[in-house]
Amino acid sequence: MTETQTIDAAERALMAETLSGLAEDLDGPELVAALDAFGFADLLAEAPRDAVPALFTALGRAGSMSTSLQDVLLQPLAEYLPVSTTECNVVLPGIGADLVGTTDGHVLALRGLVIGARPAPTFLAPVAMRGELAWVGLQEFSGIATRRVEGLDPALAMTEVTGVDVAADLVVTGERAVAVWDAVATAGRLALGYQILGAVGAMIDLAVDHARSRVQFGRPIGSFQAVRNRLADAHVAREGAAAALASAWDADDAHLAGLLAKSLAGRAARIAATHCQQVLAGIGFTAEHPFHRFLARALVLDSVLGSATELPEVIGAQLIAAGSIPRLVDL
Amino acid sequence: MEVREFRAGVRAWIDEVGESLVPAIEDQSVESVAAQLNHQRRVQRLLYDAGWMRWGWPARIGGLGGSPILRAVLGEELTCRALVHTTSWSMHEVLGPAVAEFGRPDIVEDIFPRLLRGEEFWCQGFSEPDAGSDLGSMRTTARRHGDGWVINGEKLWTSWAHHATRCIVLARTGGTGSRGISAFLVDMDTPGVTASPLETMAGVDEFCSTSFVDAEVPAERLLGELDAGWRVAQFILSCERGPIFWQRGAWLAHHLGLLLDAAGDGRSASALGEAYQLLWAFRATSKSTQDRIGTGDLPGPEASVDKIMIAAADQAVFDVARDLLRGDIETDDTARSRAWRREWAYSRAATIYGGTSEIQKDIVASRLLGLPRSA
Repeated sequence: MTETQTIDAAERALMAETLSGLAEDLDGPELVAALDAFGFADLLAEAPRDAVPALFTALGRAGSMSTSLQDVLLQPLAEYLPVSTTECNVVLPGIGADLVGTTDGHVLALRGLVIGARPAPTFLAPVAMRGELAWVGLQEFSGIATRRVEGLDPALAMTEVTGVDVAADLVVTGERAVAVWDAVATAGRLALGYQILGAVGAMIDLAVDHARSRVQFGRPIGSFQAVRNRLADAHVAREGAAAALASAWDADDAHLAGLLAKSLAGRAARIAATHCQQVLAGIGFTAEHPFHRFLARALVLDSVLGSATELPEVIGAQLIAAGSIPRLVDL
Repeated sequence: MEVREFRAGVRAWIDEVGESLVPAIEDQSVESVAAQLNHQRRVQRLLYDAGWMRWGWPARIGGLGGSPILRAVLGEELTCRALVHTTSWSMHEVLGPAVAEFGRPDIVEDIFPRLLRGEEFWCQGFSEPDAGSDLGSMRTTARRHGDGWVINGEKLWTSWAHHATRCIVLARTGGTGSRGISAFLVDMDTPGVTASPLETMAGVDEFCSTSFVDAEVPAERLLGELDAGWRVAQFILSCERGPIFWQRGAWLAHHLGLLLDAAGDGRSASALGEAYQLLWAFRATSKSTQDRIGTGDLPGPEASVDKIMIAAADQAVFDVARDLLRGDIETDDTARSRAWRREWAYSRAATIYGGTSEIQKDIVASRLLGLPRSA
C-alpha cells in the first residue's frame, strides 16, 4: 500500500470537494452514474489513499449510498476472475461471522451480506472449505436466495445472501485465497472506517449545533460541563480513529493496521452515538430529526467486518502470537 | 542529520555500549528518585559524549542542530528498552525548550550544556496550594528589589525540586488573572528557597512543596517579557506534547510488551487489544503533532486531544497489567512487582498532571468544537 501513487494537494482538495458534492446531492443509482462519469474506479486504481478517504467520508457525512464499496472489495480479486469485476459483487460474512460459509466439500451452506450491490449476476464469497479458506463464485441459479435487508438502517443498500446446499465454482484457493481475503477485508475495513467516521462527523455536528442553540436554565446547554465533556469525548474518539485510518496506509503491517482502524472507528461510532444522542435529547429521538439515520448507519457498519467489541480480541491475539508490540509507523 | 540515519545510529550505539546501559528498572531502587536520577545522570553523560544527546537542539546553546524530532526518536529508542525511566527522561524536555527560547542568551549558553550532560536537573514551579487547574489565580509574588526581584509564595507538586539545580517559577508581577504573571529562572540554592518532599501514593518522593521566602532573583533571570509569563507557561505545556509524549508512548508499549507472556485466554487477549488500540490511536495522532513540531510549529489546542488520549492509554495499559499479573500489583513484594506497583500508581495521575483531562476537554469543547464557554 505504501507504493501507491498519490496526487498533489490541489488535485486532492478538488477531488474531495467534487466527491462530497456528488455524495451530498445524489444518492443511489444517480450517484452511481455520476461516480462512473467522474471515473471513480480509475481514481481508485491509481490513487486509493486519496480516493477512498474522500468518497467514503463523504458518503458517511451525507448518509448516501453508492456501489463503490464493491469497487474497493473487488480490486484485490480482479486478477483471479474469469469475468470482469463489473459482473460481480463481493459477499461479506454475516454479522458476527468470520466467513460467509462452510463446506465439507459436498454441501455448502452460506449466509452473508452484500453492501451496495450492483446489478451483477455473480457473487464472490470467502468460505471455509474443509477448514481451508477458499473463494467461491455463485450465481442466482446456484441455489442461493437473496433478500433486500430492511433492518436498523433501511437506506443502507444491503442484501442478504443465503443458501443451504449451494453449487459453487472455486475461484481462488490455497495461500492465495488467504492473501486475497486479507487484502479484501483490509480494504473493506478502511473504506467502512471512513464511512463510519463521516457519519460520526455528522452526528457530532448535529449535536454541537444543538448544544450552541438550545437554551435551558437561561444559557446554551453547550456551556454546561456535562454536555461539553460528552462532545469532547466524541471528538477525541473521532480524532483517534481518523489518525489510525490515515496511518494505516503507511503501516508496515497493513492487516493489523486495518483491524485497528476499523475497531477504533467502531468505537468512535459507539461513543458519538451515545453522547450525541444524549445531548440532542428528545428531538434526536424523533424520526423527523436526521440524527437517527447517522446513528443507524454508523452502528450497522460497525458490525460489518468486525465490530469494536469483536476486534480487540483479534488484535490482542495477534500481538500475543507475534510476541511483540508493533510500532506500525515510525517518525 | 536525517531521522532514519539518526535512529540507526542510536540503535547501533545502544548495541555497542549495551553492557554499560543496564535497564533503568534494574539499576535503581524502585522507591528512590535519587537512585533514578543517578542512573539518568550516568546515561545522559554517555549520550552527551557520544553526541546523541545534543542532536535536535540548536548549536547556539550547545546542541548539534537538526529537527526536534531527533529528540523524540532518542527518547523512544531509550524508553522502549527501559534504558532510562520515562519521567527522569522528560525533565530536560519539559523546561529546556522554554529556557532556550526565553532565557538571556549568555545565561542559556552557560547552563544548557550542563542540563544536556545531566549535571543539572530543573523543576517547574507552577501549581500552588490554591491554584491547580485555575493556574491564573496563583498568589506567589515577585516584587522589585533594587535591580532584581524578591519572590514570596509557595509552589506545590514541584517534581524533583529537592534534586533540582534550578526552577522555573511563575510569579505575579502585575494585576489579577493570567495577565500580570512573569516567569523567572531561579537557582534552587538561593537563600529563602526550601523544597520539602511529599510522597506519592506509591511511596515515592516524587514531588515537593517548595516555599519562597524573600528569595532574591537577579533581573537577568526574568524569562521573556515582564508580565508575559503566561506565554512561557503555555509554551512549556505545549512542549510537553512533543518528544515527551512520544517517549512516554514508547514506555507504555514496552510495558504492554512485558504482559504478552501473561496473556492467554480470549478475555486477556481482548483486554490487551483494547489497551493497544488506545495506544495506537494516541501514537497515530501524536505522529502528526511530532511532524508539526519538526517543522517548527508549536502545538495549539489540538494537542489537548493528544493529552487526553495518552492519559487514557496510560491508565488502560496499567489496568491491563493489574488484571493480567494476577495479584502481583496488589500482594507481591518482589522488586519486579514493586516496580509494576509504582508504575501502576503513577498511571493514576496521568489524567491529572500537565493539565487535567477535564481542563483538556474544556479546551476541546471551546477551541475545537466552538461550544460557548461556561458562564
